[in-house]
Amino acid sequence: MAVEQPTQPTLGDLIYDKLFHNYVWRSIFRTGYPNTPRNQMLVVATNVFLHLHPTRIHRTHVKITHTYCLGGLTFFMFLGLTVTGILLMFYYVPSVDRAYLDIQNIQTNVQFGQLMRNMHRWMAHAMVILVFLHMLRVFYTGAYKPPREFNWVVGVVLLVLTFLLSFTGYLLPWDQLAFWAITVGTNIAGSAPVLGPKTRFWLLGGFEVGPDALIRFYTLHVIGLPLLAAIFMAVHFWRIRRDGGLARPL
Amino acid sequence: MATVVVARPAARPTPRARDEEVLVWPDLVFVEFISAMLFTVLLFLLSYLMNAPLLDEANANVTNDPAKAPWYLLNLQELLLHMNAALAGIVVPTVWLIVLMVFPYFDRSTDGQGRWFADVNSVKNTVVSFNVGLWGTLALIIWNSGKAALWAKDWFGFSGGSTLAFLERSAALKDPSVVPWPGWADSIPYLWFNLKILDEGPGAGVTTFQKIDLPTLLVDIGIPTGFMVGLSCLLIFFFWKINWVHTRRDALITLMSGFVGVFLMLTVIGTAFRGPGQDLIWPWDLRTLEGIPGQE
Repeated sequence: MAVEQPTQPTLGDLIYDKLFHNYVWRSIFRTGYPNTPRNQMLVVATNVFLHLHPTRIHRTHVKITHTYCLGGLTFFMFLGLTVTGILLMFYYVPSVDRAYLDIQNIQTNVQFGQLMRNMHRWMAHAMVILVFLHMLRVFYTGAYKPPREFNWVVGVVLLVLTFLLSFTGYLLPWDQLAFWAITVGTNIAGSAPVLGPKTRFWLLGGFEVGPDALIRFYTLHVIGLPLLAAIFMAVHFWRIRRDGGLARPL
Repeated sequence: MATVVVARPAARPTPRARDEEVLVWPDLVFVEFISAMLFTVLLFLLSYLMNAPLLDEANANVTNDPAKAPWYLLNLQELLLHMNAALAGIVVPTVWLIVLMVFPYFDRSTDGQGRWFADVNSVKNTVVSFNVGLWGTLALIIWNSGKAALWAKDWFGFSGGSTLAFLERSAALKDPSVVPWPGWADSIPYLWFNLKILDEGPGAGVTTFQKIDLPTLLVDIGIPTGFMVGLSCLLIFFFWKINWVHTRRDALITLMSGFVGVFLMLTVIGTAFRGPGQDLIWPWDLRTLEGIPGQE
């Protein structure tokens, strides 16, 4: 009877072994390459980013037509906006004297500056559209129903925060479009009975759009609202897991 | 004897059927990765082809006409043209957001979750409600902008005269020549002292809360509220009569789909069809005028 003899390791095997089975690599990645069911589950369970997911999921949920990835893409836009936003912050100073010039500078003198600004702008619009479509998906698949009631409420808060994030960013280029859009927008807020004028004053830091409004919108845009959105997103994702994953027929 | 109350969730996550599950890696992670890459490429492409707008430097002394809010607020700006500013800008969005939040507490049934349009008649309900919201809003905008009366006059020679001026726009109802309002109607007192609230800033002064202007109240708040609430209720009632609405879920589908239609039409009109002076124009005539106030 012929006995199968172990083959000699090839050069490729040796290099792979040196690269991925050494002490340092193993200190970073606890599991091997996810090519076995065991490793595939381990990598999801032990990786800080992937562990937002469960290790297994119902087969209907991986169909693209079930969710169209709308929630995930909204989050992806948030991440993309954070990255492009940080790059823009390197060159932008939120003062009336410099804001407009800095934007012009980003567009003309900074390498890939125009591209970064464009990406930031179009991603912001995409996020508003995607979050709205995500809400419609959740509604029309009845995914707000028990036990996911509270997560729907958190989602509505995130919808409002997305609008506010976009709105506060609108003023920052300090051009005519920004100035008059925010004037109109804050006038809408100022029309509230009793508290309207106070709200408008609080938003603008004065009675009209000026330097105080710019610094307020900037601070809210780059730290206040993203922080709040991140907290609500954490709750949102956590509740998806705690409430049994995506909704499916009972 | 002490009673121990244990909090229990209203509904529990469903038990898992292992044989119907797939592994997140690779089945889900790869789908997410591909969609993220697809969007990255599309956005890079869009950013390469189309630059973000940048007009002249902000100048408070040079007005933009039309001055428009960001596009996702143009629905509210469009509403402002048809009703009281506080109602359009604050009350309507706030009430709608609260209504949205209340959805799952109003419809507590667990039936039909996790499937698109699982309920009987839900597709018909959605399509018709959406279209009623969409085209109904357009009809109301055309009516209240006076365009309908203008076209009726131009095309058919029909004119309602001053007594039927309300057919041109609801604001005509404030006019004493259209409705014979009694002299006291525009100043009905309800506070007998001068209540000053948040009295600061430009335009502040004696509070206006002391008197009710009945014609204005009717035209700017009463009629729009009646349309918004009344038409929504009427649509749900009609669908209930023809057996399209059986459950609370069905009623919510009518409400939500109608809202999407209204939201979309208001946004489109506000974005592409409002020109200088917020007049209705065709999108290809849309230009932004800049001028120094008083010297345009």
